[in-house]
Amino acid sequence: MSATFVLRSSRLSAEAFTSTSRSLPSVSRLGQTRGYAQKKKVAVKQHSSGFKGNKGKDPKEKGFKKEKKHGTFLTLPANQVTNTLFKPDNRVVLDLPTYSTEALTSAAVGKAMAFPMSENEAIRAYGVPKNLVVEFRVLSKPCSVVRDVTVTAIDTLDEASSKSSRDTRLVMTGPSGCGKSFLLLQAVEYAAHNKWIVMYIPRAIKMVDSSTAYTYDSRTRTYLQPNFSYEILRRFFSVNQSALQHMKSRGELVTELQSLPEGTPLSNFVQAGLSYKEDAPAVLSALMDELSRQTTHPVLLAVDDIQALYNYTAYRDPHYRALMPQHLSIPRIVLEYASGKRAFARGAVFGAESTSNTAFQMPLELSEALGIPPLRPAGPYVARSKELAEYAQGLRNFPVPAQLSVDEAASLFELWMKDNALHSGEVRGTDGELQSRPNDELFMTKYCEASGNPRAFVWKGLLSTMSSY
Amino acid sequence: MVHILGVLLPDTQLAKFALTHFYGIGHKTAHRLCARVQIHETCKVRDLTSNQITALTAFLSSPSTQPSLPRYTLATSNYVPPRVGEPVPENAATITSADGAPVKESLGDRLRNIKIESELRREIRENIAHQRMIGSYVGRRHAMGLPVRGQNTQTNAKTAKKLNRVERY
Repeated sequence: MSATFVLRSSRLSAEAFTSTSRSLPSVSRLGQTRGYAQKKKVAVKQHSSGFKGNKGKDPKEKGFKKEKKHGTFLTLPANQVTNTLFKPDNRVVLDLPTYSTEALTSAAVGKAMAFPMSENEAIRAYGVPKNLVVEFRVLSKPCSVVRDVTVTAIDTLDEASSKSSRDTRLVMTGPSGCGKSFLLLQAVEYAAHNKWIVMYIPRAIKMVDSSTAYTYDSRTRTYLQPNFSYEILRRFFSVNQSALQHMKSRGELVTELQSLPEGTPLSNFVQAGLSYKEDAPAVLSALMDELSRQTTHPVLLAVDDIQALYNYTAYRDPHYRALMPQHLSIPRIVLEYASGKRAFARGAVFGAESTSNTAFQMPLELSEALGIPPLRPAGPYVARSKELAEYAQGLRNFPVPAQLSVDEAASLFELWMKDNALHSGEVRGTDGELQSRPNDELFMTKYCEASGNPRAFVWKGLLSTMSSY
Repeated sequence: MVHILGVLLPDTQLAKFALTHFYGIGHKTAHRLCARVQIHETCKVRDLTSNQITALTAFLSSPSTQPSLPRYTLATSNYVPPRVGEPVPENAATITSADGAPVKESLGDRLRNIKIESELRREIRENIAHQRMIGSYVGRRHAMGLPVRGQNTQTNAKTAKKLNRVERY
């Protein structure tokens, strides 16, 4: 009796505390109800006819359930895939020549090569653009086909290694899926293995789409991005550590929290930025100055999605006006090197356009500087930003061909074939099992359907086809 | 879990949506508040720095008494920043237009006019009480608990009958 009395009184006191607490979700118990009226008593509706699916279920259960986000495709480890359907005994290890500086000659055009995956590899440290992530996960190894434009790009890099970066500022352009990001990645890998210092930004859109912290700095009159600067420094350090250790700074580094004298090894410079995140933007800027002055190693600044840096950003200033990219610290650095206002004593600036994100499309100023037709017809009465046009001056167009040649496409086809990725061209073998034996007919039909476009050929043609011959 | 002025903001929610938990702040105001305090769009409540939380609390405790926002000067293409330790040139103060008239209030400054929580409820209560006091149609409808804005009462006045009253908030 006493126990129930205690229980009842405690329940009453809980009810008195929150005025509207019948059978409600927990938020209301914190005193935070949006409504001010009595809560409706939820009754389970009795349907005599019609949809009976939810009859008898608790009203809470019927609620709309948000689809669980699974993130980017992740392969299962090989030991977990044991069902005979997946043919675990028939595992393939792709045996491809390694993408190396000696192997890259004009004789290598049309050959598939695997990227070397050492510990400090540029791909591993910097990451790759979004489109390439799933491709590399589906393939057994990250690899690519060497095209004639690859050899051209590499020759350009070789010529640029002895000249100022002001003379070699390229932007790779072309239709969607023609291989611009891949080409830039190949150039980055070549430079990294050829004793260049490489700074690769695979997703420049992340700098301008308001996904990292920003804070106004009155000294530089720009908005600093400490977290992004820190990440760039960390990745840069892991890729270029050995080169940085032997180089000494020519100027001193003075920030609010620390100072380093002249003559410190550049690796200490970078470590200073990594130890205090607030200093990372200043250290990055000073590091770029040091890299511009030194002549020991040529420097490659490679930026994918570079057209995102010539559009208004998604950031807002305190007055809610959209910020321009040159008023953010890291895009400003990239724009200054891209326009030639700052330059590396030896090196190049490579950029690649990306057509995936339509919020940041190729702007008019950049398309005019590159000499490519703009997205929309734009006569003299369309507004152009003078500052952005200034930052786009002097950029050269590096067109990536829309079509793969037949040899290159054949190599790509064989790569996916050897990786046991194709499900077409199945032939019933002597043991009665279906085996995939891709044939010329499949290759030529898919090549023609895709009109030679690499992405369409692989993803729409080979991997998504419903045909079985 | 972050508490701002007695309202609990869930950790895993984006800050620009979490701010709508305040009575009187919707999505637009929340977005402008985030811009004022330099919170980026994908910032979750758990990633807010203490400076940002303090700035938000200070602003929301009394928006009308806040000073006007300074206009930050932005670097031109040929701007060379002074070295650390050297004096920093001052921001241009509140800009006046060419003919001397005061500059139009920016979207960030309009945030000072917002009312939240108890102030807003008080304003609504006073508005309804005023309508009742002057004996208007609107006041009478609130008192009767019927729709105010000319809706049908033959059918469908359920929400009005449930919610409308003079002592509404």
